[in-house]
Amino acid sequence: MIQITRRADVTAVHSLLSVAIAAVLTIVISTGVLFLTAKAPVDALSQLLTYPYQGGTIMVQWSKALNMAAYLGVMGLGLSICYRANVWNIGAEGQFAMGGIGAFGTWLLLGSPTAAWAIPCLLIGGALAGLLWASIPALLKTRANTNELLTSLMLVYVAAQTLFFVSNGPWQAPVRYSPPQTIVLPETVQLNAMLTGVPTFHAGLPIALGLFVVIALLVLYTPFGYRLKVTETTPRAARFAGYSPAATVWAVFLLSGALSGVMGAIYLLGDIGYVTEESNFLRGFGFSAIVVAFLGRLHPVGILFAALLLGYVAGGASWIQANLREDDSIAGFIEVIALMSTLASALFLQYRVTWRGIIAQTQESP
Amino acid sequence: MLLNLNTITKKYPGVVANDSVSLQLEAGQILALLGENGAGKSTLMKILAGLVQPDDGQIRVQGETVTIRSPSHSRQLGIGMVQQHFALFDGLSAIDNIALGLPQLPRAELRTRATQLAHTYGFKLDLDEAVFALSAGEKQRIEIVRTLLGEPKILILDEPTSVLTPQEADQLFEAIRRMAEKGHGIIFISHKLDEVARLCDSAVILRRGRVVGTCDPRETSNADMAAMMLGSRLPERIDAEPRTLGQTQLSIQNARSVQGDAAISTLSVRAGEILGIAGVAGNGQDAVFALLSGESPASDPESLRWQEAAVGGFDPNRRRTALGWAFVPEERLGHGAVPHLSLTENALLTNLADPTFASQHWIHWGQVTHTAETIAADFDVRHSGLHRQARSLSGGNLQKFVVGRELLKHPNLLVINQPTWGVDMGAARRIRGAIQDLARAGGAAIVISQDLDELFELCDTLCVINQGTLQPPRPIGDWTLVELGLAMGGQLHEGAA
Repeated sequence: MIQITRRADVTAVHSLLSVAIAAVLTIVISTGVLFLTAKAPVDALSQLLTYPYQGGTIMVQWSKALNMAAYLGVMGLGLSICYRANVWNIGAEGQFAMGGIGAFGTWLLLGSPTAAWAIPCLLIGGALAGLLWASIPALLKTRANTNELLTSLMLVYVAAQTLFFVSNGPWQAPVRYSPPQTIVLPETVQLNAMLTGVPTFHAGLPIALGLFVVIALLVLYTPFGYRLKVTETTPRAARFAGYSPAATVWAVFLLSGALSGVMGAIYLLGDIGYVTEESNFLRGFGFSAIVVAFLGRLHPVGILFAALLLGYVAGGASWIQANLREDDSIAGFIEVIALMSTLASALFLQYRVTWRGIIAQTQESP
Repeated sequence: MLLNLNTITKKYPGVVANDSVSLQLEAGQILALLGENGAGKSTLMKILAGLVQPDDGQIRVQGETVTIRSPSHSRQLGIGMVQQHFALFDGLSAIDNIALGLPQLPRAELRTRATQLAHTYGFKLDLDEAVFALSAGEKQRIEIVRTLLGEPKILILDEPTSVLTPQEADQLFEAIRRMAEKGHGIIFISHKLDEVARLCDSAVILRRGRVVGTCDPRETSNADMAAMMLGSRLPERIDAEPRTLGQTQLSIQNARSVQGDAAISTLSVRAGEILGIAGVAGNGQDAVFALLSGESPASDPESLRWQEAAVGGFDPNRRRTALGWAFVPEERLGHGAVPHLSLTENALLTNLADPTFASQHWIHWGQVTHTAETIAADFDVRHSGLHRQARSLSGGNLQKFVVGRELLKHPNLLVINQPTWGVDMGAARRIRGAIQDLARAGGAAIVISQDLDELFELCDTLCVINQGTLQPPRPIGDWTLVELGLAMGGQLHEGAA
């Protein structure tokens, strides 16, 4: 029979081994599915893996991947902080949407300026909006002990309806678009492209990278990071060390909410330029970020790689859809397989699986 | 003879759990198995349940020598066991839970027989009610009915009254008597002397794995049984250098935890004093520890006073920094230390509020590493690198590390729960010595322990905890063995305040 025993000590070798197992599983299963579903599987696979060099502009393709990785990385890192503290914030999508709304609202409040000094104000406005949105589940959890999994998720849908409301209601552009939207922010308060002809490679990316580095250092080296490490595995030891559980809930919700919010503002200023209905504004970054957090084992370095991986795969999937008329839902599929493989291989990290004969089992009698 | 155990021996590394234990059980007999925690009751029951194989000795069931291979084999042999902790599915109804244990019986027959059994033993039991809606007593009745449906000849009840109200316990005793009248042999495991005296017609007393006596509890006084349970005499005090006691430091009056799971009526500790808290495991030691450490603050801040200041509302870190208290919980992994963090990181755990270790924004790893090294050197912690995870250490070494971390702060008050639980002799001596050194240097200590030898070795005063309530302390020399046994069994001693 198979016996599963806990490892006494987890070493770096086990860690790398389990990542390798996850990678192999993901590649094998994804390739299998691609071969079953694609019309031209060999082409699809090779182009999915090498799409930046398949005839399009190389920088455009790479920057699409980097652009998506920026959103997934920063939001995934924010969520990982929550999950380490055993706080289940799955509402990053809503906090991101409110970030966009908050940034646009800030612009209106400032009197629709056209000067570049507005940009930092808008980013801060977005961060505050995301933070406020995340404070709702935090308040409900600390005051009424509600399940933050439900409240944070429900607030995603409220935020989506808010997008619908502002783009159809008070902020609707005088010129009617379909679907309805606000007016476009002036070029001067947008985060402009850093390379001509590559719009997705905009000034928001270095900002995101800076945020990522700061938060990663916070998680790895400060007393706050230590607090997360203690709380992650042993809430009882955290209380013993003097950490208040309620304060932890507040801290992680506000921090991750602000990060999602500022990314929403960057999205508004760098990628889209206006607020519109959910279907055109939200691209599921907030949900993919949950996958990224776990794919990266809640560790900043892992999250960085996971975000780059998923960003790259998403770019490849849209490339094969555009050029080979293949279904781009393969990207979502690979995302899920990678997550499942990572979670499954975590078993090998924590436990030793051995085969033990049944005879050996019953031979214990004196 | 239903059951005959002959010189059963079971050794674990470092401890003999059962040392030549023999006992006999006849049909219709209610036999008490008495003993403190760690006396070997559970091991003996695990052997009968087929979970553990003895190293030596014979088991005879109804005259036949057997090897009990597994729990199902144990049931086939006619041994039924009602565990202290219920194994019921909360979402299922009573009858569904019963059916899970006996899948071979048709549902209709099961229902008829379960109803019959409940009627025979005077159990009120609604078979269709979901388990989560039932009281502990009702859940226990489901377990008993389920066990009885297997038609055992021998029924073993492990601390069955620990979760019951007195009224429910009375009903249970009535049912047990009827079972005995019907020819079942009953083994009743307990440490509550008055229950044993009321219910049982014979008793086997275990202490440290050995049978130290048998008696008829109806004719033996509770005091005599307590004496057997705790050993023939009180351990002697062996503190070489007497300590001088100073001013009263900590005084507690009518303190309760916010959750209401711990209560201390009156208690005071002087400088240089070691106060012991004795009690049988599971009587609220953890709750009292949390009340003292501030993990669950006192409902009235005035009820805890340190040098006259009201400190009941202080959280653990404020007690550590402002008052100089230090705490060592019972659970090493997961409470006193974080299993997945390195020893160095664990050295920081209770020093976070100390500015020499960490500011608001930065951890002074140099200081933390130095402290970890000092702890390991001063307290003889055997480790294979301070970067290794805490859980890679043996229990004794990790306990030395945790105790060392707290004592290195030279606390004004040390609260320590089960200081040497699961720790080898050498480490235990080292830890006890360190507590005495602290007291000799003028610090105060509160030691919560189940080990009476340890308490008598260390303490100046002693009190007893029972069901979350701490009785007033008395000087260690004033306690008699009988009073101590009775108090630990839940009876107030005469002359108690």
